[in-house]
Amino acid sequence: MIGSMIVDILGYALIGLGIFFWFWGTSHLVGRRSVLFKLHSLSISDTLGSMAIIAGLLLKLPREWPLLLLAILSLAMWNTMLGYVLAYCSTTYDSTTYNPTTGANRE
Amino acid sequence: MSEYLNENVVIFLMIAALLIPIYEACRDVNVWQKMLALASVASKVSILILVVSVLRDDWMIGVVGVLILSVGNAGLMLLAHILKRVNEA
Repeated sequence: MIGSMIVDILGYALIGLGIFFWFWGTSHLVGRRSVLFKLHSLSISDTLGSMAIIAGLLLKLPREWPLLLLAILSLAMWNTMLGYVLAYCSTTYDSTTYNPTTGANRE
Repeated sequence: MSEYLNENVVIFLMIAALLIPIYEACRDVNVWQKMLALASVASKVSILILVVSVLRDDWMIGVVGVLILSVGNAGLMLLAHILKRVNEA
């Protein structure tokens, strides 16, 4: 009885932590910062927050663990990859002056 | 009774968090900022689908959420590459 109550509380705590992460990261979206700054906070909050929410759901409903585990894995893989792809595509550089070792444009 | 209250609060808070990127996507004119907001909407909605499926104890809705999570980002990556090419041309 007490064990199930603790698991229930832990599940809601994880979901609450995830929702807090969501609000924290998304609040940076409304502002006049650069795309990369927003992308950084957004990918942290969306990946980690969503993983915390799914972990909370996993505690609430352990019967469907394959589905939720697949959700966590695809979230960790694809959201990270999308962050890299968006950062790569949104920064423009001139290929004639680009220095690949420093990652900056030469004068 | 309190169980239902907790679940409704969770859903309500998640929808409130979802409204921020939707507002940003409508407002911003820069295409990359807009894309960032829409990517955030996509992942948030799929997590919302998963939460609803677990709370309703419905496996079929959950499969839809996991499908969006596992293949939904591919379209956004492709779109980002197309936009980069269009900007370079």
